[in-house]
Amino acid sequence: MIQVEKISKSFGKVQAVKEISLLAEDGKITALLGANGAGKTTSMRMIYALITPETGLVTVDGINSTINPVAARARMGVLPDARGLYLRLTARENIAYFGRLQGMDESTIKSRTNELVERLGMTKFIDRQTDGFSQGQRVKVAIARALVHDPQNILLDEPTNGLDVMSTRAIRTFLKEEKARGKCILFSSHVMQEVSAVCDEITVVDAGTVRAVGSEEHLLEISGQSNLEDAFVSLVTTGEDS
Amino acid sequence: MIGSAFKTVFFKEVMENIRDKRTMMSSVVMGSFLGPIMALGIIFMTVQMGKDKSEKQLELPVINMQFAENFEQFLLSQDVKILSIEKEPETAIKDKDHDVILSIDENFGQAMSAGVPAKVMLYYDASAKGAANISVKRVRALIRAYSSQIGHTRLQLRGVSPSLINAVSIEEHDQATDQSKGAQMMMFLPYFLIMGLFMGSIYLAIDTTAGEKERKSLEPLFLNPVNRVDVLSGKLAATITFGLMTLLLTLIAFKLTLPFYPTKSMGITLSLGIVDMVMMFLVLLPLSLLAGSIQTIIAAFSKSFKEAQTYVNLVIFIPLIPSMLLMFMPVKEKLWMIATPILSQNIIINKMIRGEVIEWGTIGISILGTLIVGLVLAWFAVRLYNKENMLFSD
Repeated sequence: MIQVEKISKSFGKVQAVKEISLLAEDGKITALLGANGAGKTTSMRMIYALITPETGLVTVDGINSTINPVAARARMGVLPDARGLYLRLTARENIAYFGRLQGMDESTIKSRTNELVERLGMTKFIDRQTDGFSQGQRVKVAIARALVHDPQNILLDEPTNGLDVMSTRAIRTFLKEEKARGKCILFSSHVMQEVSAVCDEITVVDAGTVRAVGSEEHLLEISGQSNLEDAFVSLVTTGEDS
Repeated sequence: MIGSAFKTVFFKEVMENIRDKRTMMSSVVMGSFLGPIMALGIIFMTVQMGKDKSEKQLELPVINMQFAENFEQFLLSQDVKILSIEKEPETAIKDKDHDVILSIDENFGQAMSAGVPAKVMLYYDASAKGAANISVKRVRALIRAYSSQIGHTRLQLRGVSPSLINAVSIEEHDQATDQSKGAQMMMFLPYFLIMGLFMGSIYLAIDTTAGEKERKSLEPLFLNPVNRVDVLSGKLAATITFGLMTLLLTLIAFKLTLPFYPTKSMGITLSLGIVDMVMMFLVLLPLSLLAGSIQTIIAAFSKSFKEAQTYVNLVIFIPLIPSMLLMFMPVKEKLWMIATPILSQNIIINKMIRGEVIEWGTIGISILGTLIVGLVLAWFAVRLYNKENMLFSD
């Protein structure tokens, strides 16, 4: 479970995030929905303890991530916006490298890798060097690498950005399976269909602040719209006026 | 857990870069073999050209030889091949047709008979490269020999002992040994070794920092539950390993090229024993920490691989400065010099090459001085990524 309370961050004079709060519960997929530049990536970076919030608090399964970032990170598996692989290592070696950094032993790394290969459909390229991989293959390896330690909390920054239908489906299926296993999944996106297709809870952010929180039905209801895209536009513009 | 992150990062970086042919070729192999082979080539050519000029029959173009028949006989008796020349001597020298041209003054014969100095003109280019000067020297020596031969005859005819004109005679005592003469040829060795060390670690210093940032793999890496200092220490250790590997190869490459040096014709001795090699490696060992750390710091501040490459390549010129200074001005070493990194390694290795005895205290001060500077830089390098704004390239 991830709890975010009023976190803020500014770079120079620009305030990227203003007192954002959200709750991502176990067994649910929570979305951080916002346009480009709304502060999603900065918020995510604070949540996964890569940068320190100026105000507020992030707790991961009760661990304060500012005070104990290493322990908090051990409870999370993160697919960040940056998903570069090591081109001279095979997909399997890329995954094993992160497994070792997670402090896993070799046999656990092996069995967990085999499981992820099976579930994400990576059999064909798992033992190839990652140079020349397609976008879809790269994201699958990056997800497997991030989740090799089977973390309770899964955070993904725009996971299906630029992927084809088949890869997108494979990843959605995977996330739904993880949800069924009781995992807490938080992901940021600007793609409405995606959020609509997989998410239980949605937090709408714009210009660094939270505009609305709730299920898709709830957002449609408060905005008086019939689909998520219109609801989003309405919520964001309303926000600007107020 | 702390130790295991260091090891994991270290082995991954070493393995990944050994797989990269570009790293291996550009920094490790080139860095180590290029220097010794180039040095061998240059010395070989210089010696060969000098030998040709000083041993081959001297070909001398002479203008107005008919004015000095006696001199002509002398030159022929000295195995000189006299050539005639059509061009103006100034032009012929400028066009590099000949190294040196002799011209006899038209009053040569009269001056000879009158017992006043007879004039000859020597045309040459003093700024011409190496071997040309050998020809000029040979011609000048021939003229002096002829002049003194005639002079002596004249004095004897007048009943004066020719030895009277030699008021002082010089007896030469050159203290240079064959080894120290050889050492002069090997002045470049410390520079090549330090250069190899610096070149070997360049690629990794960049690849593990700016390269990782550019590939966008730095952020995922730091999302693992590990201390950033451990990760950077592992990276730095891998960088240093490649520097040392290149240094070792440079020493081996140099050892392998030694037998090919034309030592006999130069009258020198070149030797590099296993003990010397081990000592040189030991003296240079702490320098690898300094080189790797400086390069890592510079690369970490760069946003892209190319940017880092530009700056880090400039660092290669740092070791050039003390090496050049020592080549042109032999100084008596002082304590501060022994404690100064790079300068101290230059001094100590030069001494080793000259076959001088080096006290353990000197080596100790050199190692300690370099180690302290290296550790300070390394301390700084492994903490660079604790700053948030260093993590992202955007």
